[in-house]
Formats: sequence, structure tokens, C-alpha cells
Amino acid sequence: MSIEVRGISKSFGPTRVLKEIDLRIETGELVALLGPSGSGKTTLLRIIAGMEHADPGGGSVLFDGQDITAQGIGDRRIGFVFQHYALFKNMSVFENIAFGLRSKPWRSRPDAAQIKSKVDALLDLIQLGSLAQRYPSQLSGGQRQRVALARALAVEPRVLLLDEPFGALDATVRRELRRWLRRLHETIHVTTIFVTHDQEEALEVSDRVAVMRAGQIEQFGSPQEVYENPASPFVFQFLGHYNVFSARGQVADAPLSAGGGEGALTLVRPHDVVVSRNGNDRDAIPARVLHVGLVGPLVRVELERLDRKESIDAELTSEASKELALKPGDSVFVTSRHEHSFEDYSI
Amino acid sequence: MVAAAKRRVIPGFGLTLGYTLVTLSCFVLLPLGALAVRTAQLSWPEFWATITDPVVVAAYRLTFGASAVAALCNAVLGLMTAWVLVRYRFPGRRLLDALIDFPFALPTAVAGLTFSNLYLKDGWIGGFGDRLAGLVNSAGASLGYPALIPSDSLGWLDFAYTNTPTGIVLVLIFVGLPFVVRSVQPVLQEWDAEYELAAESLGAGPFTTFRRVIFPEIFPAWLSGSSLAFARAVGEYGSVIFIAGNIPGKSQIAPLLIVQKLDDFQYAQATAIGMVLLLASLAILLVMNGIETWVRRRQTA
Amino acid sequence: MAGAPLLVSASASAPPVTRGHPVWRRLLIAGTVVFLTIFIVLPVVNVFTQALSKGVAAYTEVFTGPAADQPPRNLAEKRKLSTRRAQSEKTASAIAMSVGVAAVVVPLNILFGLMAAWAVTKFRFRGRLLLIALIDLPFSVSPVVAGLIFVLLLGRTGLFGAWATNFVWPDPTSIAWRGFGGGWPIGFDRFNSGIIFTPLAIVLASVFVTFPFVARSVIPLMQAQGTDEEVAALSLGASGWRTFRFVTLPNIRWALLYGTILCTARAFGEFGAVSVVSGNTDANDTMPLRIEKLWNEYDNQAAFTVASLLALLAMVTLVLKTLIDWRAARSARRDTGATLQAGPPS
Ligand SMILES: Nc1ncnc2c1ncn2[C@@H]1O[C@H](COP(=O)(O)OP(=O)(O)OP(=O)(O)O)[C@@H](O)[C@H]1O
Ligand SMILES: [Mg+2]
Repeated sequence: MSIEVRGISKSFGPTRVLKEIDLRIETGELVALLGPSGSGKTTLLRIIAGMEHADPGGGSVLFDGQDITAQGIGDRRIGFVFQHYALFKNMSVFENIAFGLRSKPWRSRPDAAQIKSKVDALLDLIQLGSLAQRYPSQLSGGQRQRVALARALAVEPRVLLLDEPFGALDATVRRELRRWLRRLHETIHVTTIFVTHDQEEALEVSDRVAVMRAGQIEQFGSPQEVYENPASPFVFQFLGHYNVFSARGQVADAPLSAGGGEGALTLVRPHDVVVSRNGNDRDAIPARVLHVGLVGPLVRVELERLDRKESIDAELTSEASKELALKPGDSVFVTSRHEHSFEDYSI
Repeated sequence: MVAAAKRRVIPGFGLTLGYTLVTLSCFVLLPLGALAVRTAQLSWPEFWATITDPVVVAAYRLTFGASAVAALCNAVLGLMTAWVLVRYRFPGRRLLDALIDFPFALPTAVAGLTFSNLYLKDGWIGGFGDRLAGLVNSAGASLGYPALIPSDSLGWLDFAYTNTPTGIVLVLIFVGLPFVVRSVQPVLQEWDAEYELAAESLGAGPFTTFRRVIFPEIFPAWLSGSSLAFARAVGEYGSVIFIAGNIPGKSQIAPLLIVQKLDDFQYAQATAIGMVLLLASLAILLVMNGIETWVRRRQTA
Repeated sequence: MAGAPLLVSASASAPPVTRGHPVWRRLLIAGTVVFLTIFIVLPVVNVFTQALSKGVAAYTEVFTGPAADQPPRNLAEKRKLSTRRAQSEKTASAIAMSVGVAAVVVPLNILFGLMAAWAVTKFRFRGRLLLIALIDLPFSVSPVVAGLIFVLLLGRTGLFGAWATNFVWPDPTSIAWRGFGGGWPIGFDRFNSGIIFTPLAIVLASVFVTFPFVARSVIPLMQAQGTDEEVAALSLGASGWRTFRFVTLPNIRWALLYGTILCTARAFGEFGAVSVVSGNTDANDTMPLRIEKLWNEYDNQAAFTVASLLALLAMVTLVLKTLIDWRAARSARRDTGATLQAGPPS
């Protein structure tokens, strides 16, 4: 099932939360909606699900080329997983998962045995077969998350929508469930959109990432594309740490920004910063070491440019740093391995 | 109350809101509207003459006076009760706690009936002194000392308040009792004992701690509970008429006056008296809400 | 019964702070016990003592009528017997009237409460807060005024007086089977006319005074629970009714029961409003009105007997309320899962 969003706009009172969003998601894709808090991710997802309605005349939603904007939430056959799961408190895990099946019109409702075997299969899928009779409050966060997913999958949805599915979990469980979701998607292959504001999660799990900013989609592409060829400084900045090597009007005294012209912005990732003891390169920036810190296999070095008193973060491999033997106060030279320049941009 | 013309995700908006509005209009707003319309039909001199009639003024004075005294008593006794029920553990506490709601559950007529009986001259409390004297004498007689004390020597322990204003206050205390307790109780329960320890560690004695630290915290709830008790007492009818004596100009409360005017088919006067009563209770609630908002704003500021 | 906080009681949540001077503590406890004894325990005990002051036989005679073990020997005795019989018949009919009124009022109140709560908590619309305030309004109206407004609306000279006086409605006790063959198989044989001073007015006044009970006990809970579970159910294809029945209703069942119980107690106990609209007719008496009449006739024991039935109902109400508090606290604990919060992901 492909999903197409055409010119969707949404306002809450006077504030426009979504501005003419266009998005096309192919059948079987796993897409991440990534963006800072308040950028409109949840709103977009809820509009696709039919839980929220776009502004009158504000665009349409198509499933497989068919306009479903006017369809109610129950008719869209979507599976939705809420950020806080919204499991039915008064029902056991089994009853939660069976609810959708038991809610079908009696003509198409499976009989009790079919329901049981279907729910059991789903319980196996989420690896919670032994907890079928527990109530939601007796489950851990990660278990609830998986029950919510199984409940959504039970009705064989055409698309699966997840709102910050791992938002309420701690880091380890998150990482584990993230992989599990990836594997699950490979088995069932249902078109899936999930919302997150964790760039690592988005890049690791999804086939494609849509980066949102203030109600608009800034870039939509594969994780690699988005990471390596960010369409804007915003995307670049949102996807990781960065250094500003030059900005508007400061080109003259910024020898590193060879490619940049007037009004351009050059950004460099910390791991693309090269630190050396001697300034052989004519573009090298003189700098002073402020702090050297170990982060796992990497060494993070905090530097200060001598010319403009701005700070630069660098990440070196431990061999490189051993070779250099940096101490706070040392004078060094900085160049870049790889840099991104943006024309006519302000941060 | 017009709904924005847009589709709703959850079904049933039209049905439930429609039913609510229709029911509310038929059973509540329309009848109250009738009162407003009838009041508007009265001429001002007629209205004024009715509500300044000495009998009516006396009834208002009694109603509001007795209600105020009862609310004050409830404010003090209810605070004590809430405090004891939350802070101390003693046998029978849970039973007492459950009993607090009894005035909510007991029909007012029953309350009036039993109170008027208790405070009669020969009731349990109204004749308490005489009964006690009788008890002492019969105990003495069985030990061989007949007529130990004169049988009327404990007359000062007879609390015969039926047919007196004090009786009205007593039954109004009963009726308003749960309001203060049930308003203050949750606040006291949520109260974090660490503030108290902090105050005491700073050298404050228990009374200073209560006055400066605890009381300001429960004040809004306490005030609103007391005002609710007052508002309830002002409108109370069923329990009071059994114990009041109902002598016009003396022990007749305003609601009873309305009933009598209706019995005499003096609808205009009943309307005027009723309107004043209604406005008074609405005013009490408004003032109470205002004070509460003010206190809360001052606390958060 | 203006806005009392519902569903609270001093359950043992926080450990008590039993500090302060022991003398003060004892004084305060003693004061509270004495206060509650004089104002609550004694009055209730008095009800039952007075009701049973002439023995159990006299107690039951009040509503079952005098036992006819001996035929009356002379005219005076015969007259006395028939008066007593008439009295007990009136009392029995007052009990029936109270039950009947409650049987109509309570379901109406439940229906209204659920409808209003759904409208007010599941949707945002302009005037929502005003609507909530209006639902609460009857609590701040004196019962006598509540009766008065219906007289002003539907009484002979009322706003809709002309219509109301000619209003004809079937007597519910006259329902009869008519057999097939022309018209309805079931119909009424007797009809009443008018509204004020008939049982219909008693129902109206009772609806007014009980109006907010179910709504205000359910609304806060539904508000707190939000709409996520309902939306989830709808997205799984459940109908609106199914969503309400299987998702919403189980979540609010204790609050609903609680409101229902309070509503029942009030429907049985209302005095002021009902006394204004009932028109002093014996046939229209409810139990509280009957109490007043018996008391006016100086039949103390009979008045207390009827009162004892209502006091019994109040005690049942309290017991149920305590049980519900206890159950609600337990299921709240279950729903938030305070006990098993942190299990590892398996
Ligand atoms: N019901 C509402 N009424 C008014 N404003 C709303 C409503 N829902 C969302 N908004 C506003 O719309 C904007 C986008 O909200 P949305 O929930 O889509 O953000 P989000 O990207 O999901 O953020 P987060 O990562 O914090 O969940 C926010 O500015 C929010 O304040
Ligand atoms: Mg969100």
C-alpha cells in the first residue's frame, strides 16, 4: 500500500502547524519522520491515520492512489501505535490483541478458534506468549510497546503508523526494540511510518527519512543521502554534531572555506576535522587545545581558533591522538577532511 | 454553544451534545427561566414591599444568621475532624471516616425528625440532665441511698433546643458537616510532612508551624468547604421545619415562607422571596470561587 | 448537596504523622469522637430506638396494617381498626410511590450523566465550560426553590399553565393486556390530567434536584483518562457503541455506580422540592412526605418507622460507597501498575 500526502495544511487556531506537505511513500517502505519537538510530526501522522482532519481545502491523503481523506478512522484499516500505547487497561494482553478481530462486523468476524490461533501467532511474534493473561499494568514498558504493536497488527492493517514508539523507553531497551522492529518489518513488509526525534534511530532503522522543520518537510531521502548530502544546514545540524568553519561575510579570514563564496556557510562534522602539529597546509587554521576527553574508542578534543576565538570540536581516533599526544594549551593547526557548503543560508 | 462545523474523530458528538442540551433545557433551564420571567413580571414596588415585609426580613435574618453560625461551627469542628482522621490512628477511625458522609446519604426529613426528637424536653439530649439525675438516684437507691440528689438538680444539663433557633443551628451543623471535612481531608492527605519537619528544624513550635505552614496550605479548601456548608444551610428546608417551631416572625425560615405563600396562592410573593434566595446562593458560590482563585493566584505568584 | 468532593476518603495512603504533644492529640481525638457521636451516631441510633419503641409488631404494623386476629367487638373498635388500616395503607402507598419515582428518575439520570460526560469530555467545543457549570447548577438551588420553579412553570397560573393543566398522561399502574384485534395489544385503562400536584410533578422535581449526580461523578474521571484508548479502539475498527461499551464503560464503572447510588439516595430522600409540587394529597406522598404527615399527627412511632427505612437505605448507601472507594482505589492501583512497574523486557 503506497501512501501519498498531497498539499496537507493544518492549523490549530491561528498557528499553522503543517504547511502544504507533500510526501509519497512506496509500498512496503519503512519511513521515519524525523524532526525537532513541535515540528508537526505527530500531527502529520494523525492526519494520515484519520485522527485529525486537515484544514478544509487543505489537501488530501491517498492510499494506493485512492483518495481516503473523507474516510473515518475505522475504515482506513491502519494500525496505529500510540506514544503511550493506549492499551485497554481493563483487558488482558490476549483480549487487547483480540479486540480488533472481535470488533469486525459479524459477517467477516473470525470464530473464537480462529481468533485464538491468530492471537497466539501474534504473541509468538512479539515473544510474549507466556504473558497472555496479564494486564497491561503488569507489563514492563518494552512489553507494553510490543503488545500495542501486536494489537495494531492483528487486524492486518494496510499501513502501520507508530508515534514515537520507543520514546518512553530507556536507552538499552530502545536499541533492542529498534532492531526488532527492523526485523519485524522485513518479515511482514507492511508500509510503515514511524515518528521519532532521535536521529540515530531514524538513520539506523528506516529505508527513507523525512526530516521535518516547522511544519514543512526539509528533505526526504535514504539515510545515507540525508546524512551525506544534507539539503540544508538545518538537516546537517539536526543529524549530528557540527562545526561552523565560516559564515556570511567572514570568508576573507576563513582560509578553509575554499569552495564558499559570499554569503555561504561551511559546516564540518567533528570526525572530519584533521588536527596536526605543523601548519604545512596553506589553508590550515591555527588553534589552541582547550580540553582532551576520551569517549569510548574516540578522543574528543575541544579547540579554540586563534584568529576568531570560536570553538571547534574534533573527534580523533585513539591512534591519531596518541601520535599527536595533545595536552591542553598546545598550539595546533586544523584542516578538514570533508566539508559541506551551503549558499545563501542563515542558521 | 455552537459546535464548529467540522468532522469529529470520535463518534456521537451530535447525539450526546444534543441530548444533553435538550435535557438540560427542559428540566433545568426552562424552569429556572420561569422564575426569572415571573420575577420580571413583578413591579418593583411590589417586589420591594414583599422582601422588606417584617416577617420576610425576620425569616431572612434567621436563615442567614443560623446558616452563618452553623457554617462557622462546621469550619472549626470540621477542620478538627479532618485533622484527626488524617493525622492520627486510633481504633474506630475508619468507621468514623465512613460515617462522615452520613448527612449526605440521610434524607433531610429523617435528620429533622430525629434531631427534633433528641432535643425535646424528654428527649435523650433535651432531657439529659433529668435522665442523669434519675440514673444517679436509681443507682443510689439500689445501694441503699434513696433520693441521693434532687431530681431536678441537673436541669442545667437539659439541652432542650427543639423549637428554638439553637435547634436550627444544630441540625444545620449536621447537614453541612461533610462539606468541610471532605474538602480539607484530601489536602491534608497530600500534605508532605517534610515541610513540617523543615519548619520545626528551623525552631518553630507546633502552633507556629500549623499557623504559618500548614494552615495557609489548606486555607482555600477549608474556605470553599465552609462556604459550601453555608450555601447548603441557606437553602435547607426539610430538616429545619421539624425542629424550628415555625412561628411567623420568630422561628420561620425563608424556604418555609415560600411554601406558605404558595399554599396561600400568593405566587408573586413566593417568587420574590425565592428569587432572593436563589441569587444569594449563587452569590455565595461566586464569591467563594473568586476568593479561591485569588488565593491560588497569590500562592503561585 | 452542593459541590462536595466525591470519591475521597481517608484511605491509608501516607503514613500518619503522629507527633505533637500526646495530651493535645488525645484531646483532639476525644473532641472528634464526642462531636461525631452527638451529631451522627446518636441521631441514627435514636431513629431505630424510637421506631422500635413499641415493639416489633407495632413496627411492621405501620406499613403492613393491623393484624386481624380478633374481629372488632364494638363500633368504636371497628372505627379504630379501620383508621389504623387506612393509615398503614397510606404509608405503604408512600413507599410504593418513592420506589416508583426512583425507578424513573435514576435511569434518566444515568442516561443523562453518560451522555453529558461523553459530550463534555470527548470533544472540545465553544461553551464547554459553561455547559459543565450549568450541569452543576441544580446543586446550588434550594430544594424549595426547585419546587417553586416548577409550580411557576406548570402550575395553573404558570407560564405553560394552560397546556400543563390539560395535559393527559396514562396512569402507569393501569397498564393492561387488551388482546390482539384492533389497536395496540397493550394499553392503559386510566388516565391522569395535569402535571403539578400529580406524581409526574414529583418526578420532574426529583429529576431537577438529582440532575448533576452521575454526570459530576463520571466527568472528572473521563477527563483524566483522555481519548487515546477510544481512538485506539476506533482505529481497530470498533463501532462507537462498542468502543463505549467495552473500553470507556469499564474504565468508569465505579464512578458510575457511585453516582448512581448517591442519586438513588437523593431520589428517595428529597423533601423540599417534592413537598412543594405534591399538593398535600395523601395519594402523592413519598416516604419523606409521609414522615412529616405522621409527625404532624403526633404518631411518633410510625414517623420513626418510615424514617428507619430511609435510614437503613442511607446505611446501605454508605456501605456501598465505602466498598466502591476501596474497589476504585484497588483498580486504580492495578491500572497504574504501581506494583509491577519495572519488569525487564523478556
Ligand atoms: N490540539 C492542539 N491544539 C493546539 N495546538 C496543537 C495541538 N496539537 C498540536 N499542536 C501544536 O502543533 C505543533 C506541532 O505539534 P506536534 O504534536 O505535531 O509536534 P511533534 O513534532 O509531534 O512534537 P513532539 O516531538 O514534541 O511530539 C506544536 O506547536 C503544538 O503546540
Ligand atoms: Mg509528537
